[in-house]
Amino acid sequence: MEETIDARGLACPGPVVLAKKALEGSARVKVLVDNETAVENLRRLALRNACGFAVEGGEGGCWEIVITREGPLAEAPAEASPETRGTKAPRAAGPTVIVFAHDRMGGGDDTLGDILLRAFVHTLLEVKPRPDVVVCYNGGVRLAVEGAQTAADLRALAEGGTEILVCGTCLNYYGLTEKLAVGRVSNMYEIAETLTAAGRIVRP
Amino acid sequence: MTTKGGHVVFLFPSVSHALKAEKILKEAGVTHKLIPVPRHISSDCGVCLRVEAPLRDEVVARLRGRVTWEGEAPLEGS
Repeated sequence: MEETIDARGLACPGPVVLAKKALEGSARVKVLVDNETAVENLRRLALRNACGFAVEGGEGGCWEIVITREGPLAEAPAEASPETRGTKAPRAAGPTVIVFAHDRMGGGDDTLGDILLRAFVHTLLEVKPRPDVVVCYNGGVRLAVEGAQTAADLRALAEGGTEILVCGTCLNYYGLTEKLAVGRVSNMYEIAETLTAAGRIVRP
Repeated sequence: MTTKGGHVVFLFPSVSHALKAEKILKEAGVTHKLIPVPRHISSDCGVCLRVEAPLRDEVVARLRGRVTWEGEAPLEGS
């Protein structure tokens, strides 16, 4: 049984969502798309689910993709899950420390940087193993204060055993000392010791 | 912060749409969270807005006519 989907005009993740749904009911799904990102996303969808993939066209900005499924759809993506990634990666001697030195992720645009950092902190809850320590300094202390949208996720990390250290000097400088919502006020001695003793430092 | 019961995620055509929707919900005082699009939906792109399932209808009412969204999906757990 073949199903045809016209996903032209749809932005990510539209084409993938539709294709995946169609594959649940049909072993052969034809998808029409009008952008290369969709082609690549569908290619990955096929790869993850061990499906056949063929693409034709491209002229006039329209591609015809055929995805064929042999067995049932994979329950989970075939790409490494966080669990397997965590166990395959060589374990560093010493704790994993995540450093928040800014309240943004990356440089370029602050609005985007804000979204990315919130998404990062949220995703940390899914990453196994969880980090041993989170250190917030300079603008990073804003993640741990009242009203910060990241505070709830940091609290969940803390409840799961991650230690959250927040630079006291920085809280004081920004006038946020009374507003600390999660974590423990720390000082440069402890921060310097934590960073130098770390097996792995992650700085988003 | 983890709520028992389900959530609903709203998917948008772009990050800008998601941001606009977030602004609307923020102004309206509707509890929500901007999160990466869950892996099982698509790991290829973007962010989406997660709300508690009982708030779904209110969110739809707030967003309708002000910002377009591409779809909704139920989300179990956190």
